[in-house]
Order: sequence, then C-alpha cells, then structure tokens
Amino acid sequence: MRILKFFITKIILKRWILVLGMVLLLLLANYLTFTAARSMISTFQGYQEIETLNQEGTFIANLDPNSEADFDRIEINDTQKVYEYLNSNYTYALQVDGFVTSLDNKHDMEVSFNYINEEAYKTKQFGLSQGNHLNFNYQFNKEEIPVLVGAGLATTYPVGSNIEITDPVTQQLVNLKVQGVLEKNTHRSNFYAPNSKNYFNFSVFLPINEEFIQSAGLDLHVNGLMDIVLLDSTKEQALNLKELIQENTGLEFNFFNQQENLNYFEDYYINSLKIICIITLILLLILVCLATWNTLVSIRLMIKDFTIHLLVGLNHSKLRAIFYSYFGLLFSINLAILFVITAFNRYGFWLSKNSILATYGVFGLISMDWFALLIVLLIDLIIGFAIVELAIRKIKSIPISVGVLD
Amino acid sequence: MNSIIKLEIQKKTFKKKGFSILNDFELEVEPGERLSIIGESGVGKTSLLNIIGLLDTQYQGSYKLFGSSVKDLSQNKLAEWRNQKIGFVLQESALINSLTIEDNIKLPLMYANVEKDPTVQDHFKQITNKIGIESILKKKPLECSGGQRSRAVFARAVMMNPQVILSDEPTASLDSKNKEKMIDLLFEMNKEFNTTVITVTHDLDLANRHERIITLESSEG
Ligand SMILES: Nc1ncnc2c1ncn2[C@@H]1O[C@H](COP(=O)(O)OP(=O)(O)OP(=O)(O)O)[C@@H](O)[C@H]1O
Ligand SMILES: [Mg+2]
Repeated sequence: MRILKFFITKIILKRWILVLGMVLLLLLANYLTFTAARSMISTFQGYQEIETLNQEGTFIANLDPNSEADFDRIEINDTQKVYEYLNSNYTYALQVDGFVTSLDNKHDMEVSFNYINEEAYKTKQFGLSQGNHLNFNYQFNKEEIPVLVGAGLATTYPVGSNIEITDPVTQQLVNLKVQGVLEKNTHRSNFYAPNSKNYFNFSVFLPINEEFIQSAGLDLHVNGLMDIVLLDSTKEQALNLKELIQENTGLEFNFFNQQENLNYFEDYYINSLKIICIITLILLLILVCLATWNTLVSIRLMIKDFTIHLLVGLNHSKLRAIFYSYFGLLFSINLAILFVITAFNRYGFWLSKNSILATYGVFGLISMDWFALLIVLLIDLIIGFAIVELAIRKIKSIPISVGVLD
Repeated sequence: MNSIIKLEIQKKTFKKKGFSILNDFELEVEPGERLSIIGESGVGKTSLLNIIGLLDTQYQGSYKLFGSSVKDLSQNKLAEWRNQKIGFVLQESALINSLTIEDNIKLPLMYANVEKDPTVQDHFKQITNKIGIESILKKKPLECSGGQRSRAVFARAVMMNPQVILSDEPTASLDSKNKEKMIDLLFEMNKEFNTTVITVTHDLDLANRHERIITLESSEG
C-alpha cells in the first residue's frame, strides 16, 4: 500500500498527461461497451417480448409508409364499421396508450391512460405487485371500471381506491376502481425498434370490451388500428380486413405474419445489431491499441524509474501487484463515472417529469444497466490483464544495468 | 575463512554472437576484504560488477554468494538481497529525476519497510552529513552538480548498511576533497562493520588503497 501510494503519487502522477490520456481512452472504451451492451440487452429483451406474437395465425397491422393517409377525412361512422366487422369476425389484441391526462399524484407526473382488451392482456401477462388482475366483463357506464395502476401511482391510488375522472377517449365521467398495481418498471417494447421502451410506472390500465370500444371516440379507434394484432387468423382474413379498412377509412395497412415479421427482424434489426457489434468491436480494438501504446510510451519514459526501484529492492511480483492495483484503480474510477452518468440520466427522466421513461432502480440503475456494467467490468478485466502483462514483459526485457542509466 | 563470493565464469556473451568477455574468469572474495578491479576500457569490469551485484544472471558459469548458488535463487530473493545485502554505487545519473535527493536516497528503506525506524533515521543523518549533501536533500537531481549526484548515489548504496559495497568508478566526478570523504566513509564502514568493498576504478591511487588489486585482461575468445 505504501509502495503503491509512492508509485502513484511520486512517479505515475508526475506524468499526469499520460494518465489523463489513459483515463480518457479507457472511459471512452467503457462508455462504448456500455452503450452497445445495453442496447443489445434491451433489444434482446424486447425481441423476446415481441416473439410471443410470432405465432402461426398472428398478423400485426402496420400502416404502409408509402400510402397517403388523410386522417381528417375519417369519421367515427367509418371506424365503427371497421370495429363492428372486427368484433364479429376476428379475435384481436388491442392496446392503445399515450392518452395523457392530469391526475394528481405525489410525484407530480403526467399520467397516461392505457386501453387494453382481453386478448392483448392475455398475451402480455403483466405481473402485479398487489391486488388482482383485470376483468373485462363489466358494464360500461353502469358499473365502475376495474383498473390497474403503475407502481408510481400506488401510494396515491392504492388498491381499492376510486378515481373519478373524465375519460379522455369517451369524454364521459367514469368511475375507476383500482384493482391491482403493476410491478415496478412494467413496460412494452416498440414492435419495430425493440430497444425502445415505454414504461408504465405512471400509467392507468383500463380494460376495454366491445361495449367500451363502441362508445369510444375516433382517436382510440384510429390509434387502435395502428398496431392491432389479429390472432388465430389467416392471410385471407387479414387481406379482407385490409380491404375493409381501406374502403372505409382510406388507410392502407399491411398485415405481416410470423414469417414476414421474422424476416423483417433478420433483415433490419439483426443486421443493424451486427453492424453495431462490429463497429463497437473495431472502435474498442482501436481504443485498446491506443491504450496499449500509451502504456508502452509511459514505460519508455519511466523505465529508468522502474529499474532503479528494481535495483534497490522492488521485485517483479510487487511490480505486477502495483500495475494491477493501478489499473484496477483506473477502471474503478471509470466504472464509477459510468455509473454516475447513467444514474443521472435515469434520474433526469424524473426531473423532467417524463412519465413514460421514469424508472425505478437500485441506486437509480435498472437491471439492464447493471447487466451492461457487468459486461463492461468483464471486458475491463480482459483489457487490464492484457495491458499489465504486456507492461511487465516490457520492463523485464530491459536489464536493470541498462535501464538505470537510461 | 569462508569466502563471501565464489565466482567461476566460463564466459559472458551478449546477444551479438561471436563475442564474449570474462572468459574462464574466477574470483573469490573473503568477508571484509577490500578489492579493486582495474583494466582497460571495454574489458568487462562493469559487466563483472553487474554479475556480482545480481543485476545480471545471464552467463555461463557458477556463482556462490553468501554460500548460496545464485542460479537457484528466486527473482524475489535476488531483489531482497539487492535491497539488504548489496550496495551498488552506480554512475551519477542513476537517480530518479522526479524525486528529491532525499526520496532517492531513502528508496531502499521503503522496500525494507524501515523508513520509520529511528536508528535508520540517525544513520541517514550521519551519512548525509559525512559526505556533505545535507544542503541538497530537498533538491531534484537535475538541480545538483555531477559530484553532488554521485555522492547521493553513494549515500543510497550504503543506506541499508550492506555486507558488500560495489562501486563503479565512484570518484570519477569528484574533487579531491570530496573524493577523500567518500573513500574515508567507505573504509570506515569496512572497518566498523567488516563490509566487503569491491571497487572498479581507473584511478591507480584509489586502487592502491585497497588490499588486493586484480587486473582484468581481455582474452580472445
Ligand atoms: N548490453 C550490452 N550489449 C552488448 N554488448 C555489451 C553490453 N554491455 C557491455 N557490452 C560490451 O561488453 C564489453 C565490456 O563492457 P563493460 O561495460 O563491462 O566494460 P568496462 O570494462 O566497464 O569498460 P569501461 O572502463 O569503459 O567502463 C564491451 O565491449 C561492451 O561493448
Ligand atoms: Mg565500465
């Protein structure tokens, strides 16, 4: 410890530019690894989530990006026809979120209403931390509507409490009864970009049934179609629906089946992941080369210092221990910086009242952050080992009698 | 009496092939002996000192130091002996420029973990006083004269009160007054602690003040 302190304060820090360069290089390498690792973990997780839909007979709606959609022209009668047809001929999963309302809560966050039908609810299998799952066979306008609330609303609206509010999609005064609380960080990944997620910590989940859909406004109808999922269906039925929607609303949808979705992922997402991986690896390699070069230059400049120490009593085991401790210190500093940056980012979503990105975590970091940090740590161990062993070899290759007179 | 150094070198070669020094060289030294080594430039005096001082273990031959065969000793043991049993008086440039003279001199103490020992502190004061470098202790090597630096190198070598002191032209950059001071201290230690003194020098006057002089001759081979 004494010797380590001596080395760091009296030898290594005297070349602080090299140290600073090293810290920056390693920080860059760590940050890069961290970002890439996290986005891969997140994509993988999102992909697993979406994969539950990749089943025979499942078709996911997708607005054709080339079609000219004129939303102003669509009227409620048109969409009602579509939903009538849907209700009588198809099983479909419907989930629409993003209807923001102001609902008092102790975090002062905006609350978004999330409408979900029974089929969608079944496929998602959300976990609850308290209370019971939703039931869908309530009578709209006659009974109170059972709802789930996100973890961030649990203290303001505990299980059993009532919320009276004008529902944003039906524009009617409704009475909601909190039936359960969603697990912390319950989320949904974007169908087409699985590493982007919406968190439901400040959401209210409303079960919707046919009756509700009929009473709902155009917004819910149109948004619902955007990623409606047909279950137990056929290509022919999907095409029929496509035509019906086009006739009534002028919107042109594609319905992709399991295979097409898989192809899409392979073409687009897996490929882009591969590219991210390769670029990250190349950059990482360049950074490691620069770090190695920095180490060799440092040793070149300090060889006399090291060999004089070897002359008067330092041995190679101690020297190795000093190097490992020093790099351990550098990497710890970097990991700490990375941790602070990430925690600050996550905390920033709370500060900016961004309710769909505000998350709960251990010291602010959610599990994918920790997992990515772990990967960074592993890579640091490898880099550290390589650099230290190279440095020791370099020093050993120079005889003491030559080094001291350098 | 048992010899402290028993060296039998067949030859010492360097990476460059077809060239060797110290061919069939033998040396035995008794504890407390004062030995000087002379010989023309390039004959291998410094190389010999490096071997004796455990800085170089790449040669053909056998070497017993303090009764142990050096080739059987671990790197860590060699480092420990360099720290505690051998004092190496190198050229004046063998100091760490970013450290003060005091830190430089005290380096061996750190590795022996005796920096805080009061007797060691006393020893430090005595030695720096005797060779007259008290005034430069807080300076960096590059702020000192060559003679001051070579005295600092000497002080560092004797700081651990070693059993063997090896010097490579220790007085080369000293004026006669400082040269006397250093030689006095060297021989004083030899008398008081029975320290073995081995000195490489071109200075015949200095060589003659040792008990035994050996002359290295270049041998073709
Ligand atoms: N590291 C080395 N690599 C190759 N050759 C070397 C090396 N060190 C020394 N030599 C050669 O070995 C021979 C002996 O060198 P050494 O330094 O021992 O001589 P010396 O007797 O100390 O000379 P001087 O009196 O000039 O100091 C020289 O010819 C030198 O060129
Ligand atoms: Mg020489």
